[in-house]
Amino acid sequence: MAKKKGFFLTRWLKRGVLGSDQEVRDIMQEEQVQTPFRTMAKNFFGKVTVRIGLCGFILVFLFVLIGPYFWVLDLSEQDSTLINLPPSQSMMSVPKELNGKIADIAAGRTYGVGLDTDGKLHTWGYTRITEKINMADIPEEVQKADIVMFAAGEDHAVAMDADKQLYVWGNTRLQQGNFSSDMKKKMKSPDETWDIIQLEASNQFSAALSSDGTLYLWGNPNVADIKMRSQYQGNIAKVALTSNEYFCLLKDGTVAYTGYKDKGSAFAAIPEGLQGKTVADIASTSSTMAAVTSEGEVFVWGNAKNGEKTLPEFAAPVKKLYGGRFHYTALLENGDVVCWGSNKYHQCDVPANVAHNANIRAIYTGNFQNYAVMADGTVQTWGLKGFVLGTDGLGRDLLTRIVNGGRVTMTVGAISVIIATIIGVVLGGVAGYFGGKADLLIMRIAEVVGGLPFIPFAMILSAVIGSRLDPTQKMYLIMVVLGVLSWTGTCRLVRAQILAQREMEYVTAAKAMGIKEGVIVFRHILPNVISLLLVSMTLDFATCMLTESSLSYLGFGIPLPTPTWGNLLTGANNSIVIQQYWWQWVFPAAIFGVCTICINMIGDGLRDAVDPKSAER
Amino acid sequence: MGKYILKRCGYIVVVFLILSFLMYSLYNLIPTDPARQELEPQRKALKADEYQVLYQQLRKQMGLDDPLPVRYLRWMGLWAKPNGEVSGMVEGNFGYSNLYKRNVVEVIKTPMANTIFINIFSTIASLGITIPLGIYCAVHKGKRFDSVTQVVTMLGYSIPVYIIALIFMFLFCVLWRVFPIMGMKTPGMEYQNGWQEFVDMLYHIALPVIVMTFSSLGGMTRYVRSSMIDALSMDYIRTARAKGLKEKVVIYSHAWRNALLPVITSILGWFLGIFGGSVIIENTFSLNGMGKLYWQGLNNLDFELVLAIQMFYSVVSLVGSLLIDISYGLVDPRVRVDK
Repeated sequence: MAKKKGFFLTRWLKRGVLGSDQEVRDIMQEEQVQTPFRTMAKNFFGKVTVRIGLCGFILVFLFVLIGPYFWVLDLSEQDSTLINLPPSQSMMSVPKELNGKIADIAAGRTYGVGLDTDGKLHTWGYTRITEKINMADIPEEVQKADIVMFAAGEDHAVAMDADKQLYVWGNTRLQQGNFSSDMKKKMKSPDETWDIIQLEASNQFSAALSSDGTLYLWGNPNVADIKMRSQYQGNIAKVALTSNEYFCLLKDGTVAYTGYKDKGSAFAAIPEGLQGKTVADIASTSSTMAAVTSEGEVFVWGNAKNGEKTLPEFAAPVKKLYGGRFHYTALLENGDVVCWGSNKYHQCDVPANVAHNANIRAIYTGNFQNYAVMADGTVQTWGLKGFVLGTDGLGRDLLTRIVNGGRVTMTVGAISVIIATIIGVVLGGVAGYFGGKADLLIMRIAEVVGGLPFIPFAMILSAVIGSRLDPTQKMYLIMVVLGVLSWTGTCRLVRAQILAQREMEYVTAAKAMGIKEGVIVFRHILPNVISLLLVSMTLDFATCMLTESSLSYLGFGIPLPTPTWGNLLTGANNSIVIQQYWWQWVFPAAIFGVCTICINMIGDGLRDAVDPKSAER
Repeated sequence: MGKYILKRCGYIVVVFLILSFLMYSLYNLIPTDPARQELEPQRKALKADEYQVLYQQLRKQMGLDDPLPVRYLRWMGLWAKPNGEVSGMVEGNFGYSNLYKRNVVEVIKTPMANTIFINIFSTIASLGITIPLGIYCAVHKGKRFDSVTQVVTMLGYSIPVYIIALIFMFLFCVLWRVFPIMGMKTPGMEYQNGWQEFVDMLYHIALPVIVMTFSSLGGMTRYVRSSMIDALSMDYIRTARAKGLKEKVVIYSHAWRNALLPVITSILGWFLGIFGGSVIIENTFSLNGMGKLYWQGLNNLDFELVLAIQMFYSVVSLVGSLLIDISYGLVDPRVRVDK
């Protein structure tokens, strides 16, 4: 056995080195004879365009097939803080100049602001708020001033200099920079009551807290609850802002919801467990509030939709608490860092060298970002770096939508081709083999169906039948509509082929043997037509994908929010999207274009291989 | 020939009747109640039983309870309405558009003219490009230019038209700002005369026409090329060349004449296709055309309007298939259509 194996191995080796032709010629000393199938395969794979097409299609297909397991689609996904972000991975890349000399960091929505030990402010990440407003354009007066304290919000940042003057930059169109008259007075002539110890900024409003316990709030009153109950004034030790509310830690160690909405608000329902305990620190996410008691116990309340209330096991009492948009980061007394809440953007995956490291100097938490400044001045970050292909107008990750949309588009295309082929083969077979009246009727029907303008007809069917269907049923409807409207080409092809094959000897032989006519058509003749059928199926697959996407683009295909390559481009036909948010149409268009081009390349190559006459053209 | 055309016309009428009946029944699947709609404003002023009586009366008046074929025939204008009036499609009454609060005929007039104008424009433009290009590629088969054209045309028919539109918009409207991005006329513009208006319209439809032309290049060029190659491989071409005829005569007089036959089929088929395709173009560029109207009608459930446009599409396609058959006979004497 071993000897034989060796013999085979040398043969394989020889074949590998010399090529199979050489070897065969060695043995037979004559030209190789190929089966038709091998000729076909050789013709097919010999073409460069086919190879490119095959590689491209397989890549796209695998991407779309496997991708959805990695980028899981969440139909209800949307986030106002992440809309229209361009492709980047730089949301947490702290500039090099800051390394080792960080004095302070404030994490904003998609950007960060950092102060170095020389008193200079730096920004990083995606700083563009609108076309005109850019957080990176730090005003001259701010850069010149000796900044001691600052905070970054959704679309604006606040800073205070050593002269106790406040500055606001970024989006100031919605009253983010409108200080109250009281504050203006105090800024003009600062006295000992104007001693700001905490600055906070959130969604269109900001807060400043002075050491005498007075809280100053300013910003857009339509969005945020920026009024304050007077009985708390002068008694406040710390403030924490959610996206449009705030709450305070009082000097006596209790927590109070000091806003005007009071009862009825989920925030006002401060947990009973907190009563009688001294609160050491407070923090907030966009819709929850949290407090740590002096014993290190954590309490969370509010609208916890992302698991903010499911506390992890703490190895030691919690010392400090920080809030992101949907997650909390806690620093324990033994120096460990623990995160909980939403982990969609890996904002809770604390790096190993931070999680159990006693050398952390400070932690800063923003929207989905976390920064830990170590004792040696370096920064460790974890959380959302950015989106590879950017986000769309509702803050959804475009990559996820493209991958999942491709899956839908390809599935719809494939199934409608199968439906069309089945109808076409059956009707074409009947028409071609039986001829006569059946042929006349079927071909007339095919003529009418094939002659109708495709898109309007598909639109009408989708609108009329689909008006009472849910999105999944509508997807099936689209498959059926496409299949039912596009069988005519296949039908004609099969009919013509069968007309030609009908007169062949093998059919006569089959008839003579008494085989049923239906069996002759579908089991004897059809296999001879299958190669041509394969060609038309391949080309139809591309066409069906195109049609599906056109329908979805017009809004009569698969409805949003289910993504398809067509409806990803709905609404892209205006100059703002085309110019400013180019990634929202370039990427879906590119992958779709590549996919259909590859399929057409394969189809063309297949046709040339199957029908050598057409290759001469 | 005359007899054949008559026969075909009869066939068209039958098919049209079947199609329109199917469409009409399809629309009747949608639960709408025009009588209730009509009475809605008076509903509060009436008592419940009064309302019921009035409602039933109106239903009878409108003939809503009659069987489907009767309603269909009334809509077609072949059956008297409950009030004795005969008015339907045949009489030129296409119904009333709920969306525009006008008769469908009036609503449809301008968009239809626009659509036909745009389509004819782009047909001429693309034929002017594709036929010479296809012939040139066929004659110079296998050369570099031919291979490049093959690849480019493949891109043309593989990429959906709205993506081509987006790319062209990006290039011509955003990057170079040569053309307006959408609409049919400059907003707020007052025209001194008709000519100015016409020029402004041409300026606005230039980009859509370019996009339509570009997207149709692919299929047509390939078609012309392959049928031309077929014709060039015939024996009579060799004979003509052997006779010492000029290459130009061989190509344009001998080969092209014979290649024309399959091309004509595809030209007409494609001309019909662009009526459907213009739905996408008109929506992308917000042109006031029939496709856009159709889209609006479907979105707002204005079914009389949609039905009328759908009937137009059907008629166009049926007449088109007749034209294909007749032109076959005209172009190629060998084809005897009346047989």
